[in-house]
Amino acid sequence: MSFLEKSAWLMTFALLISGVLYFNTVMSTSEELGQLAVAHLPSMIIYTIILCLVSIIGHIVIAILSPKEASAKHDEREQKIVFKASHFSGYVTGTCIVSSLGLFLFHHDGSLLFYTVFGSLIISQLSEYLLQIFFCRTSFI
Amino acid sequence: MAKLLPIANNVRALREANGAITQSGLGDAVGVTRQTIAAIEQRRYSPSLEVAFKISRFFDVGLEDVFSWDE
Repeated sequence: MSFLEKSAWLMTFALLISGVLYFNTVMSTSEELGQLAVAHLPSMIIYTIILCLVSIIGHIVIAILSPKEASAKHDEREQKIVFKASHFSGYVTGTCIVSSLGLFLFHHDGSLLFYTVFGSLIISQLSEYLLQIFFCRTSFI
Repeated sequence: MAKLLPIANNVRALREANGAITQSGLGDAVGVTRQTIAAIEQRRYSPSLEVAFKISRFFDVGLEDVFSWDE
């Protein structure tokens, strides 16, 4: 498995863990309040810290396990994989953001807009890493 | 099974005929990763002309001795 693929798996895991924890907190707070909880900075900071910690520690571990690959630049195939995954995840971002804006037009709820846009960004990043994994494992022009 | 790309190659046979050079060794020589050499051998990736020439020069053979069109 290439360093690119290991990194993509790690970031998928980190995004899933931090995203699930964040939205779990939002859901439980909303249940207590009986309405959608307003987005707060502290929970965003905790989300960011968890994401950064998991990704930094994870990358240190995989770099220790494969130091040569970690210090090498992406080769031509990996550059194409990164570019193509980024290209398609852009469509995911656009679709999710437009859907979020459409939802806002019906509900006029700023907090809901925040959460759906934030979720869109997470889904977009997830799709990018999953596509990288897919392209690493399949035929690729 | 992954779709085979139309550019066939003899990279694996050439590696084995030239003293069992490893994928990693060939990758280092032509500036790509071991995984990319594996993908080329399995016809999951068609290399750029630059890498194709580097591979043929590494084995000291012509480009068409390494790569061929096979639809």
